[in-house]
Amino acid sequence: MSVRTYFHVDMDAFFVSVEELFDPSLKGKPVVVGGRPNERGVVSAASYAARKFGVHSALPLRTAYKLCPQAIFVDGHPERYRECSQQVFDVLHAFSPLVEMASIDEAYVDMTGTERLYGPPLKAAHLLHERMKTATRLNCSIGIAASRLVAKITSDQAKPNGVLWVIPGHEAAFLAPLDVRKVPGVGKVTEQNLHALGIRKVGDLARLEDAFLEERFGKWGLALAGKSRGIDAGGWFDTEIGEDTGPKSISHEHTFSEDTAEVAQLESTLARLCEMVGRRLREHGLHARTIALKLRYSDFSTITRAHSVGRPTQLDIELYEEIRLLFRRNWKPGAAVRLLGVNTSSFEEETEQMDLIGEARHERWKHALAAADKLRDRFGESAVSLAASMRGKFRERTHENPAGLPGKKPER
Amino acid sequence: MEFTVNRADLVRELSLSQGVVEKKTTIPILSNILLEAAGDRVTLTATDLELGIRCSCPARIKKEGSGTVPARKLLDYVRLLAEGDVHMKFLENHWANITSGRSRTRIAGMSRESFPELPEMPEKIAEVPVRTLASMISRTAFAISMEESRFTLNGALLVMRPEGLTMVATDGHRLAYVQATPAESGQVDKQFRALIPKKAMAELTKLADEAGSDATAIFAGDDNHLFFQIGHRLLITRKLTGNFPDYERVLPKDHSLVAKLQKDELRSAIERVAQFADERSRAIRVQFTNGEVKIFSSSVETGESEESVPSEYQGPEIEIGFNAQYLLDFLRAIPQDHVAFELKDQKSAGEMKPAGDGIADQYRYVVMPMRI
Repeated sequence: MSVRTYFHVDMDAFFVSVEELFDPSLKGKPVVVGGRPNERGVVSAASYAARKFGVHSALPLRTAYKLCPQAIFVDGHPERYRECSQQVFDVLHAFSPLVEMASIDEAYVDMTGTERLYGPPLKAAHLLHERMKTATRLNCSIGIAASRLVAKITSDQAKPNGVLWVIPGHEAAFLAPLDVRKVPGVGKVTEQNLHALGIRKVGDLARLEDAFLEERFGKWGLALAGKSRGIDAGGWFDTEIGEDTGPKSISHEHTFSEDTAEVAQLESTLARLCEMVGRRLREHGLHARTIALKLRYSDFSTITRAHSVGRPTQLDIELYEEIRLLFRRNWKPGAAVRLLGVNTSSFEEETEQMDLIGEARHERWKHALAAADKLRDRFGESAVSLAASMRGKFRERTHENPAGLPGKKPER
Repeated sequence: MEFTVNRADLVRELSLSQGVVEKKTTIPILSNILLEAAGDRVTLTATDLELGIRCSCPARIKKEGSGTVPARKLLDYVRLLAEGDVHMKFLENHWANITSGRSRTRIAGMSRESFPELPEMPEKIAEVPVRTLASMISRTAFAISMEESRFTLNGALLVMRPEGLTMVATDGHRLAYVQATPAESGQVDKQFRALIPKKAMAELTKLADEAGSDATAIFAGDDNHLFFQIGHRLLITRKLTGNFPDYERVLPKDHSLVAKLQKDELRSAIERVAQFADERSRAIRVQFTNGEVKIFSSSVETGESEESVPSEYQGPEIEIGFNAQYLLDFLRAIPQDHVAFELKDQKSAGEMKPAGDGIADQYRYVVMPMRI
């Protein structure tokens, strides 16, 4: 296969930058997005000024406050981020048809074979960079390389607001001096394991025999060996950009700011979560056969209980009826709950076969929710909701790197 | 225990038990059949804990008693013996000697104590001709749900009233309803209503076939079980629990559009057209139009097909989607030559029933359409 050209486009301090669009006075200041300093919860994002104090995402808010008490703490606005993410996608998609959003604020773009349209890679990246700024008023950094892996590492090196190209053939030299932690997929644990072997830089890793890594880390070790040489290996790198496999599951969770054992509160929260899941199922055009409840008690003991429904659904009310049943069957009455989650999976196409009983009700809900979705599109997510979920309203938390496989297109 | 039986008798009763013997060997004793010799009969009992069967055949008893041996192995062996007598003698170690003509075998058994106790049959509720039961089962069983998650639909509803028996089965998409005439319903002492598991219905059909058309079944029930006594054979099944859907609400009250059709013509037309239906959904389109009923199918992969069946239909034109399999299930279950196919609109249930003279009982088959 001929040499490919990939861009990794990463928005700079995305959540903070979006907040600055709405409140320009935040610019240049240490800003922490995620909630109030005395709240339970974690930092969703921090501005570059706050990062200087050691504040980073996933840090508890209270810790962030200790590190940087002068920071401005703001609540996250998921709807704003989704909207801006959609704008980002639109810019990218206008630029190349092969775009894969890896998360809300980063994307891979396959630029192979676009020289005649946009010129050499650096020129094309410059053009894209300017278009992004004009259309979204946001800064991004672009890494260019012959593999997605190196492109991702490169965009990190290009930050902030830069463009960097690793010329094909020079990957190993570029990667060698970097810390192993910079390799996507190497987390705290793998890093420790590698350090224990005396491997600190990517170059150390590249010098090892494949067989040695495979013996130590199994299949994942082989992928690591490939990665250290700049090759897309393992996990979701195995699928091409634009090869949309669709989501495998859709879920929402909520951690209470204070643990609760109040039935009305718990069931209402479940109703709210079902609404959020139902909304996303409908946006993706999916119908779930399996519906699961996740329940974490105060002592962190966690149960998940799943049920398969006879008719795959995407309707809030049908999800809620199943979830409430699972909840009532499995919750220890009186036990305080820390977290609730609703997960849907086993997606199928809508059944064309109508039911003998409940078909009319099903139809009515389908139409009602279609109308509700239109209202939400115009007036925001909180415009309409089930009465059952009114008490379950909570502020949705946001993460820059949501769990699960990245690579989904933003909801269209 | 020691007895002698006729080989053919033993093979027949053992065969009737096989459907009930546990196939999975998680509980080894359930793969065994319990033999009990008393008076002038040998009784054979098998159970999988959901279903139990007790049969018997005449025997010359030398020593009364009981024991268990593997049901499948015993049948496979005895079936291969020559016609004549089979002599069985159980030993202290639970093994049994089987001798017949010049054949000698020792079969490994298990202690009788570990074999589960079957419930006692309570007071009789009804006495029903077996041919009525069998015919009701054959016209409803196919509509039972295969999905384990809809467990209340994994059986049929049996309603016993002095005015006659009713059997209803549904999988949520279609529903089959049979109401027998009082004359065919036998004698019902008190009202009763229960869900019969699908497997029990299959076993009941076998017992009915074996018993002949004039036999009757004595029916009884307790809180958890149903009992069907047919001659010397007793079938015991656990009741399905849960609420069966309100079928009276599902049965359509009126249809505006009725087409009478020759059954075989309609059936073979659907069979042919269905070859080109989408393999997963099995969707076909049915169109009522002046003087005929048309059937269409099309699939992206295989092509498309069309048939026309003559009918005296004169109403407005209507086109509606159905699962071909659902329609065929009904058309294959009835002996009559004509059917009435009744529709209301694209979103309401369609109905099929046998048409013609001399139909005494009431058989209704309700099918929900597919979106087209």
